[in-house]
Amino acid sequence: MAFPHAHKTVIVIDHSPHFSESCKQAIEFDVLFNKNRTSGIIPLAPVMKSMWTCNVEAVLEYCRIVYDVFPKNKLIRLISSDSAANTMNTWKQQEQLLNHLLVLFSAIKPPLAKSRKADFNIMHGLVRAIEVLCETSELQHRMRTSLSPDDSAVVNRGRVICLTTLKSDAHVRTIEECVQDTIVQHNKLAASSDSLIPIDHCELVLLHIVPVGDDSAVTGRTRKEISPLLTSEVHVTQSGKFIALKLMELVQKHYDLFSTTVTGIPMKEEQNASSSANYDVELLHSADAHREIMKSDHQEGVVIQSKEGLPTMTVGLKWCTPKSNVIELQNCLGAYRVTPVDVNSRPSQCLTNFLLSGRAVMLEQPRKTGRVMSHMLASHGGELYIHVLSIARSALEDPPSISEGAGGRVTDYRIQDFGDFMKENRLAPAKAGVSAVKPIEIAKSQLERMTRHWPIVISNTIIFNMVSHLDPLPSLIMKEALEEEEVLECKKAIYHVVGMESRNDPLPVPTLGTRGKGPKRDEQYRQMWNELEMFIKGHAGTSANHNEVLKCLLDCKRPEEGKGSSGSPVKVKEEKADPSRQAEAALRDYEKYQKMSEREKQDLNKVEIKDSPDSPPPVKQQKMSTIGKVTPGPQSLLSLWANRLKSQSTKRHKEFDGRLESDGPQAELYIHLKEELQGNTPDGNFPQNKGTAAAKLKTS
Amino acid sequence: MPTVILLDVSLSMLRPVSGTDGTEEYQRRHLAIHGIGAFLDHLSANSKLEFVSLIIFSSLWEQLVPFTRDYDIIKAALDKTENFDKTFTEAALAAAGSVITEEWGSTSSTPAQVILVTDGSTGIGSGSLKHSLQTLHDRTADDTFPLPFQFPCKLHVVPIVNQSEANLQTTLNMYQKLIDLNNQGGQLFLPEGALSLKSVQTCFTKMAEQCFTPLYAVLQCGHLQCNVQVYPLPQPYHRQQDFKNVHKTVNEVISICGFLDSTDVASPPFISRHLVLPRAITKEESHDKEESKADGKDEDEDGTEEGKTPSFTVLLHGSLKVEGMVALVEVSEDWYGMLYSWADSKKKSNLMLSIFEPGTDVLPWLGELDHLSAHSSMLFPEPPYGFEDNRTPFPVRPQDRRSYAQNCVVWIKATGLQSDIQKILRHARKLPEKQQQFYKELNRVRKAALSLGFMELLEALSTMLDRECTLLPGTAHPDAALQLSHAANSLRSDNAKEYSQNILPLSTNFSGE
Repeated sequence: MAFPHAHKTVIVIDHSPHFSESCKQAIEFDVLFNKNRTSGIIPLAPVMKSMWTCNVEAVLEYCRIVYDVFPKNKLIRLISSDSAANTMNTWKQQEQLLNHLLVLFSAIKPPLAKSRKADFNIMHGLVRAIEVLCETSELQHRMRTSLSPDDSAVVNRGRVICLTTLKSDAHVRTIEECVQDTIVQHNKLAASSDSLIPIDHCELVLLHIVPVGDDSAVTGRTRKEISPLLTSEVHVTQSGKFIALKLMELVQKHYDLFSTTVTGIPMKEEQNASSSANYDVELLHSADAHREIMKSDHQEGVVIQSKEGLPTMTVGLKWCTPKSNVIELQNCLGAYRVTPVDVNSRPSQCLTNFLLSGRAVMLEQPRKTGRVMSHMLASHGGELYIHVLSIARSALEDPPSISEGAGGRVTDYRIQDFGDFMKENRLAPAKAGVSAVKPIEIAKSQLERMTRHWPIVISNTIIFNMVSHLDPLPSLIMKEALEEEEVLECKKAIYHVVGMESRNDPLPVPTLGTRGKGPKRDEQYRQMWNELEMFIKGHAGTSANHNEVLKCLLDCKRPEEGKGSSGSPVKVKEEKADPSRQAEAALRDYEKYQKMSEREKQDLNKVEIKDSPDSPPPVKQQKMSTIGKVTPGPQSLLSLWANRLKSQSTKRHKEFDGRLESDGPQAELYIHLKEELQGNTPDGNFPQNKGTAAAKLKTS
Repeated sequence: MPTVILLDVSLSMLRPVSGTDGTEEYQRRHLAIHGIGAFLDHLSANSKLEFVSLIIFSSLWEQLVPFTRDYDIIKAALDKTENFDKTFTEAALAAAGSVITEEWGSTSSTPAQVILVTDGSTGIGSGSLKHSLQTLHDRTADDTFPLPFQFPCKLHVVPIVNQSEANLQTTLNMYQKLIDLNNQGGQLFLPEGALSLKSVQTCFTKMAEQCFTPLYAVLQCGHLQCNVQVYPLPQPYHRQQDFKNVHKTVNEVISICGFLDSTDVASPPFISRHLVLPRAITKEESHDKEESKADGKDEDEDGTEEGKTPSFTVLLHGSLKVEGMVALVEVSEDWYGMLYSWADSKKKSNLMLSIFEPGTDVLPWLGELDHLSAHSSMLFPEPPYGFEDNRTPFPVRPQDRRSYAQNCVVWIKATGLQSDIQKILRHARKLPEKQQQFYKELNRVRKAALSLGFMELLEALSTMLDRECTLLPGTAHPDAALQLSHAANSLRSDNAKEYSQNILPLSTNFSGE
């Protein structure tokens, strides 16, 4: 039902001297478990609870069940009533806690047998109850102030449960009239107030409580409509455990609960650990968990009288000892929180601890033919749930296999890679208010970002087949923001591939589907560069740093594009040692170069030229040393020293591009100048990291 | 959507139809059988996975064919039907109801439909539809009217009638009343124009098209996309929740939000399950398709090509299966579901979509669903799955523990109180070793007694501890006696009545040991 009465419940407890009386039910508390030791000792006299104690106990149990089964939006307020009303808690969700109520009750001393105050009247409490029903709950407040028209129509229904003693049937009528009048009055008040909300309907539940064994002067009565605003019912019950049973019955009715009894739970005996016996545990949960059973023809033997002595029915389901801890995805039609009826009995505790430890138990319906596992008990995050499993035939049985459908015969899906992708995009709960955008939208935008270039089959990609060479570029480029260092890492990866190309390393081109030898290697590189460009381009718009990576790629790629069509392989030689440093150097040089005047530029070129003839051709040497071929045997002190000198000297100067170009130790100078003078295009043979500089030179 | 065809085989179905379009004369039953045949043909061409059952009825009923996907069996059975006495619609509807509940249960996860094929005569006397509807309000609990069905089920009525028949409107009103009574959708399909093979066939085909509209959707994960068919058709959601009415329909774009380990989602409840079948449409084709859609044409793709075109759905299924993960999808605003690999106890596995109850707080152990985000995003200062992928942020724990997880005190039954007292005594006998536990249990019981206003217990407890003191054996540690009498005295003091004031152990000369 929409806007259920159960959203707001007020429990009024009579705190008048009458309830200080004993409930007249003795409790043996001094039980002699260990016979040997205590032989000859007379047990202490049993204690008696007062009727107040019994009421508090029963009310707390009512609240316990509600809070366990419905932790949200089923609110209860407590009011004790003697010569005045005492409101104990508010509608706030954080005050809807069992432990909080325990503290509140401890502050209310039990009623005194003889009190001088004369004006004890339960109406104090009931009037206050109507008052608090006019106060909005947090949810009601939110909905009323909400802008959406669907939400703003709030129907304020509530229930008042009153534990008291009634004098006569006439007394009942007086109370009902008073409550009715109070509602009318308060509704008038509420209508003219912003903070209060008029009551649309109130359900009054009067409980007349007598000590155990006493007769009642009042007769119970089922629900009766007093007015369109108020219905009222009267229950007569004895104190002691009977009031608790009564409230247990009412809580099931008020919150539409039903009970399941798990039967045949094997448990070690407390006294004799070697033997085990079977126990039953009764649980309460939303009645929705058994809707199916209630509609079916298999109720016989399943729906039985409560074994805990409750005046209600229960569904008996047999415990099936779990085979493994692995919890598969079950066909689950509903999951409802449960709470044990007798929360601290040994069998209940055994069952709850078993479930809280993370194991799940299947429950079987006792049927004459076949085994029907219709429910499962499991805990999630410290809460116990009963799962309703689908036992009927499924309309989806025997479906076609995915391999029979579209795309089912393709065998080179990037299953593993997509698995990694999924792991990268696993979801986690974000704290509320951590971002202005809904966190789930952030997750979706991340998916968008990470799939801008995501070939789904191996044969459609080169770059994702050579990830080891490109790392960490693919993962970095998809990030939302790039650090300077990360840009450098990306560039490093690009230079690495440039190096591969210069060495003419084979590319891991998928052979699938290609006949014969497949495309030539430089064609493969061309495809690879194009794919890489497409990949990085997809992310270039993310930030300036992303664009930086794209620029770097284009710089590396540009020379080939010009040459690509001519078919002759571009010999790009690279210092493989520490390409990042080289990148930095190149960038610095380039910037410096741009700032120079024409004259300076010429000077610079001259300086390089001047230097070069004297210096040893370091590229080849270094290449060899990094490969390690120069020292096949154990290293001598001389070779160590020589290597050190070499590495130092290479660091001190920038390798001359002409030598990089040339085959031997000698290089032709001013080739580009010459070309330029002849009006030829200067790109192509120019070393790539100087390419832009040269282009710049040309335009300037 | 399992379908029950209720075919009227009363004698009135033998009435001849004056043939206007041909020389042969047909009976109404011929037309009905022909129409059902057309309906089945439509299914085998478009919705091969539908289960259909055939029930014939007159004053009695019989399920001629149980639920099957082999429509030829139904066709064969149709041809062999004989005709019996009079129409008893109510019994037929009840039969359909029980047959469906018996086979498919009564949950919302398998919505069904009933197609009532009859002629315009609604029976006479106590079994007639007129009588059934008149006595609607004076039924006993044992003799309820079968409508509305106690499970999600549409009711369609196809009367094989001539538009010109006398009393037609009265009859149709009664059929409409049935559909209204069921109030779960469905409609009256009337053959247009004069009764003929053709008009009946058109009528049935029209119904089949309406009943089994497949959902062609796009499965989307960022830029990765795939055209899919969602089977069976997800039903619109109209339900009254506690604080609002929810009306939602599933989108034509099912977008993946992220992924979860299937152990973390832990058997979440769903309202319905659907197969997600990839449809092969290449880029050029899809372009054509959009154009051809307007014309209502739907060309069949080449079967062999279909299997070889890579499909994102297949990739997704493979990876979900290998990794044991599920994909969280949004099917509409604030309405979620999950995709996972599912195998029907055999080797054939497929991609399945489970649709959850609408709302974001439907799976408490995952928290609010729209508060989930990619763990690698910048929302998380610390990796929720740990640096080594060795933990999980799930289940989300509620702030407060439930009563069964926090050792709460309930003394409604005497045994509850007894066992709590025994616990104190057990520790008392092992003083001073168990001093800490002794005082902890003592204070626990004392606090509970204060909350319940059970002052009688405090006095009884202190008497009991005094007695324990006298019962201590001679070998007992001297501290034991001191602590016991201290505890007994403390229980009697006014301080013991203060909830927040714990009784503390007596510091003795021995306590330092």
